[in-house]
Amino acid sequence: MSARDAILARLKGAAPDRSQADALLIAPERPAVDPAALEAEFLARLALPSVSASHDAIATLADLPAAIARYLDAQGEARTLCLPPDPRLERCDWSGFILHDVAAPAETAALAIARRGIAETGSLVFETGPAAPMLPNFLALHHIVLLASRDIAPYLEDAPLPGPQPRAHYWITGVSGTTDIEGTYVRGAHGPRFLHVILLRD
Amino acid sequence: MSAFDTRAAAALADPILKTAVERTAGTAEAKRTLAVSAFPDFGAARTRAAAIKDHVIAHLGAYLEQFEANAVAAGAQVHWAATADEACRIVIDICKASGARTVARSKSMLGEEIGLPHALAQAGIDRIETDLAEHIIQLADERPSHIIWPAMHKTREQVSALFKAKHRTPHEEETIAAMAESARRELRTRMLGADVGISGANFLIADTGAVCTVTNEGNAELSLVPPRVHIVTAGIEKIVPSMGHAVHMLRMLARSATGAALTQYTTFYAGPRRAGDRDGPEQMHIVLVDNGRTKMREEGLADMLRCIRCGACMNHCVVFRQIGGHAYGGTYPGPMGAVLTPALDGLAQSRDLVHACTLNGKCQQVCPVRIPLPTLLKGWREKSWREGLEPTSMRFGLGLWAWVAQRPALYRFGAGLAVRAMRLLGRGGWIERLPLAGGWTRHRAMPKPAARTFMDQYRQERGQ
Repeated sequence: MSARDAILARLKGAAPDRSQADALLIAPERPAVDPAALEAEFLARLALPSVSASHDAIATLADLPAAIARYLDAQGEARTLCLPPDPRLERCDWSGFILHDVAAPAETAALAIARRGIAETGSLVFETGPAAPMLPNFLALHHIVLLASRDIAPYLEDAPLPGPQPRAHYWITGVSGTTDIEGTYVRGAHGPRFLHVILLRD
Repeated sequence: MSAFDTRAAAALADPILKTAVERTAGTAEAKRTLAVSAFPDFGAARTRAAAIKDHVIAHLGAYLEQFEANAVAAGAQVHWAATADEACRIVIDICKASGARTVARSKSMLGEEIGLPHALAQAGIDRIETDLAEHIIQLADERPSHIIWPAMHKTREQVSALFKAKHRTPHEEETIAAMAESARRELRTRMLGADVGISGANFLIADTGAVCTVTNEGNAELSLVPPRVHIVTAGIEKIVPSMGHAVHMLRMLARSATGAALTQYTTFYAGPRRAGDRDGPEQMHIVLVDNGRTKMREEGLADMLRCIRCGACMNHCVVFRQIGGHAYGGTYPGPMGAVLTPALDGLAQSRDLVHACTLNGKCQQVCPVRIPLPTLLKGWREKSWREGLEPTSMRFGLGLWAWVAQRPALYRFGAGLAVRAMRLLGRGGWIERLPLAGGWTRHRAMPKPAARTFMDQYRQERGQ
């Protein structure tokens, strides 16, 4: 008998009723989020020490390069950027930037477009796809994220997106951190040390 | 002295260990308390989390089959392992088939449980531990002492010395930030060059076939996205029915483990790289590991299968805080380890662990899935007695006590004598030294007993 058959033989039992599982999720305990002030709630979580992300806001997508330039200049970094191959970004004017689409092992800054923001935790929701590689978001020292204000949802339950499941669906809530030495918090353990969110209010 | 007694005595005699454990566990306890008090009705949330896990464990076979079907549909290959050895063999075979020379490993307690680091070494495969604490442990050639902070037993001074001896370009400034930076330099390029990435799973999502990992460092993603192959080793109890259930468990896990609302990085992996993807592995393998779990479910330990490995029980355990994790001797330390180790390694080898507990119940109070740890420990104690594993001195002592206890007159006479004798040893309300109980009084004083026994006082009260 295969290991699979042996294990399953010992676990024989009635198949669960979907309604039983669903019943376990009725009225879940979770932090209160004001549905009328999602952006304010999201930004408040983003500013918490545990997330410690900075943010800026733009009115149209055309303002994105200027907002990124503002951020990189303030950080004292060159205007070098790893950009995902997303057609929406091709319409922006990137003059003055050195762009590339494959992240270097010591990448300074990478831009990503979040599919959702979660007000409950200040999380950014991403999905992989041809226009959305994953690795640059973990390699860059400065992780810069574009998020449309209208894409902010109240709770983590709202994170899954409609449509087919991507290879990876992931939530980023702050910067790479560690407390592995004496429980002391250090930013930038392996991945980004800085997270900067640019809200698109169009 | 038993092996546990020896380890515990060595741990108690180590002043550095106590400092190290206290620094991290103390911080974790304080942060959890804050997080829980800010959460609306954490008690009800714990009850819900327990109910979700109970539901899964009751229908485990069906959920595993559902998970397998969905994972395969997403392009992953699913393997099943009844034992630790079988699981290691599957992982090594996958590594060999892909010609792997180096693997990047993202911290997984199941990997430790099945002895994966050892199996990889035996197969001649270079292992890069990417979690900072696991990296420290690997450099020191030690074992994890905590399931969330594996290097909890190390002080910053010890880590500094280790990095200076082993890193190519170590830190110069004596700060924890500089030490973390040294590890970042050391690990970054090595991680990106690995052939295979190996992780555990925090949750397996039955209705999507996705595998969820959580980290604060982002080391899981850096270990699992660049290599050609991603291998997951997961205990079969890690299943949740859907993403919604995972969300509830994630809220409980982060708050209980570190006091955060959520981990920094939470990723759901479903299969290998798709057409048009710029990154991601070419193959994804998931090894579902039993290693005693079906037996636990059959033999009265189903409650323990609710465990989500948050570590809150050990952070709040008075025994763990004194002796740290290594003294327990198994893969899992603290209260949850004392319950799991006898199931994994056998009770005969680990009966000491089930006694290394004051039954103060603190672990049960903080457990996010309400595991009745003290009750399970008492169950192991009873089993140890029934199976004749308790030493002769204990059996004789308890037998003698039982014999006397069944003879009330004799018992009262003896108790009266003992009370008077003990009062002679007391100084200012406390007994600092007690013959035959030096093990107790070496570390703490015993309160001086009342002038008369309870039964004496009771009789007098009733007489009035």
